Amino acid sequence: MAEIVLDVRNQKTSFVTGRGMLAAVDGVSFTLERGKTLGVVGESGSGKSVLSRSIMRLLPGNALVPADSRVVLNGKDLTRLDEGALRRLRGPEMAIVFQDPMTSLNPVLTIGKQIMEVLTFHLGMPKRAARVRAVELLKAVGLPQPDVRVDQYPHQLSGGMRQRVAIAIAIACDPDLLIADEPTTALDVTVQAEILDLLQRMVRERNMAMILITHDMGVVAGRCDEVAVMYAGRIVEQAPVRDLFRNTRMPYTAALLSSIPRVTDPPHRRLDAIEGRPPDLINPPPGCPFAPRCKLADAACDAGVPPLEGPGRHRYACIRPLGQEAAA
Amino acid sequence: MRYLLYRLRRLAIVLGVVTFITFLLVNVLPGDVAYQMAGMDSSEEEVQAIRDELGLGRPVLVRYAEWVGGVFTGDWGKSFISDENVWDAITDRFPVSFELMILAQFLALAMAIPAGIASAFRPNGRADRIIGGLAFASVSMPSFMTAILLIFVFALGLGWLPATGYEPLSSGLWANLRPMILPALSLALVEWTILMRTLRVEMIAVLQENYIALARAKGMSNLRILLVHALRPSSFSMITLLGLQVARLLGGTIIIEQIFGIPGVGRLLIHAVYTRDFIVIQGCVTFFALAFVTANFLVDIAYAWLDPRIRTGGAHG
Repeated sequence: MAEIVLDVRNQKTSFVTGRGMLAAVDGVSFTLERGKTLGVVGESGSGKSVLSRSIMRLLPGNALVPADSRVVLNGKDLTRLDEGALRRLRGPEMAIVFQDPMTSLNPVLTIGKQIMEVLTFHLGMPKRAARVRAVELLKAVGLPQPDVRVDQYPHQLSGGMRQRVAIAIAIACDPDLLIADEPTTALDVTVQAEILDLLQRMVRERNMAMILITHDMGVVAGRCDEVAVMYAGRIVEQAPVRDLFRNTRMPYTAALLSSIPRVTDPPHRRLDAIEGRPPDLINPPPGCPFAPRCKLADAACDAGVPPLEGPGRHRYACIRPLGQEAAA
Repeated sequence: MRYLLYRLRRLAIVLGVVTFITFLLVNVLPGDVAYQMAGMDSSEEEVQAIRDELGLGRPVLVRYAEWVGGVFTGDWGKSFISDENVWDAITDRFPVSFELMILAQFLALAMAIPAGIASAFRPNGRADRIIGGLAFASVSMPSFMTAILLIFVFALGLGWLPATGYEPLSSGLWANLRPMILPALSLALVEWTILMRTLRVEMIAVLQENYIALARAKGMSNLRILLVHALRPSSFSMITLLGLQVARLLGGTIIIEQIFGIPGVGRLLIHAVYTRDFIVIQGCVTFFALAFVTANFLVDIAYAWLDPRIRTGGAHG
């Protein structure tokens, strides 16, 4: 039995807005083992990023989390820790890589300084040792000329190099959990694969657990152990990556998969875009949130929110799952 | 280098315009220095004789050109009233005014930076509202009113600081600073508000940046985030204002020097205006313009220190 690094139980995150309460994350539960990568896939606004910030406990002041939500990291319940204790965990136990490396590094500090401050603050390293370590880290993430780059400012680096620096910052204190929040969305396509490979290598070498958040099904396919598909703040299907692609149950997952263009498609084929729009999270529909856009939905789908359940590690929140006819 | 030449050209234009306009204005005013020199009971002939002697009857443009020529050869002229060399008169008194201005800006910044940070940390929070209230009260009062209030409380009431006077630096640092505190504070109590509000607005925006979110995710403390990560990118507008405020302070010192009896350039200028001693007025105004342009030149240098993108000349994004 592998060691469980992260255990999220019934995480709910709402925001107080002018129109009412917006449930951005609405009852998400999962566990993540050391050395494993969980892909979290969903459209914009499905709650992926809010989920990552809920785990890090980096939510804005108007966010509400009910008392029964639990985030347990290495056996410590983060929902019960005060700000000072959380601060000591951010870096050494959990770290995050943000989407846009153009804006996530401080423009007025050298990249060396931005890495070193993590080392001096969390590990109590003296400045000189921290600098040596920073150069090593930059080398580890594949930044060319690390001993020169360490004294440069973010604007002197390309987007891909900046994301490497952001990864160096994230792994500086050897965290147990690394959250990569759409780490390649803002990058050139040619650089995307390099950054994903780097993340994968870091997870393997340092035996971390990773949550890879993306809206791109193609990204999760080769690089994750398990995939969770999010829709309207909930996980609607979660399975080991092969099961998800081969035995897709949830019509939403199927719709996401078929909206990826394929090289084998005949030219000028129309993409299968999902019709309609995600539901209003302030006034969600009474039943399955995907029912209004689902081709297979019937009256029963509007009766109540289906629970996330299923055989083994393959769970789905659907009462009209795909592929059941054949199985029966 | 090209940039420097560009700045120097601008400096020349500013100085030319400013000095010419003052020259004209002083000449347009009724009454001239000849009346003052001749004395109360002099006849019109005596006054006219002095005018002829000084060459005041000649066209304004000719006299302006003469004055400019003098300045370029280091001759700023002599006061008609006291016969004092204008250059010496200004350089004797300017350090006093300069000290007052620097002290005022220093006090203003010392109040504005912590207050601005505290306000921006939780906008509309309790600290923000208290600081905002104090700031508006303090900016609503003109500096000469503040001066009177400060004298009343700290000099007359508590007796902590002298109400007037000046001590040269040779009498010791504290002896020199002591009588300067109230005048500098009177000026600073107006200026700090503007600096504080500017810093607050810019910092509120900076605190929304992704790199601040990353600093939080790195486990940095709030204090470190505010001081190390947010303060420098938030101070551009404030630094710009710091340069522009030099103009306001130059005006402010004139009144404040009067109230507190400080022998600075402000008092020299006021006296010269009363006596129509235009050569002294000219000298003071030129000096003020020079000080203003220099201050703003320093601000441009400060930008480069604040923002490495300017320093290294790299492309954005």
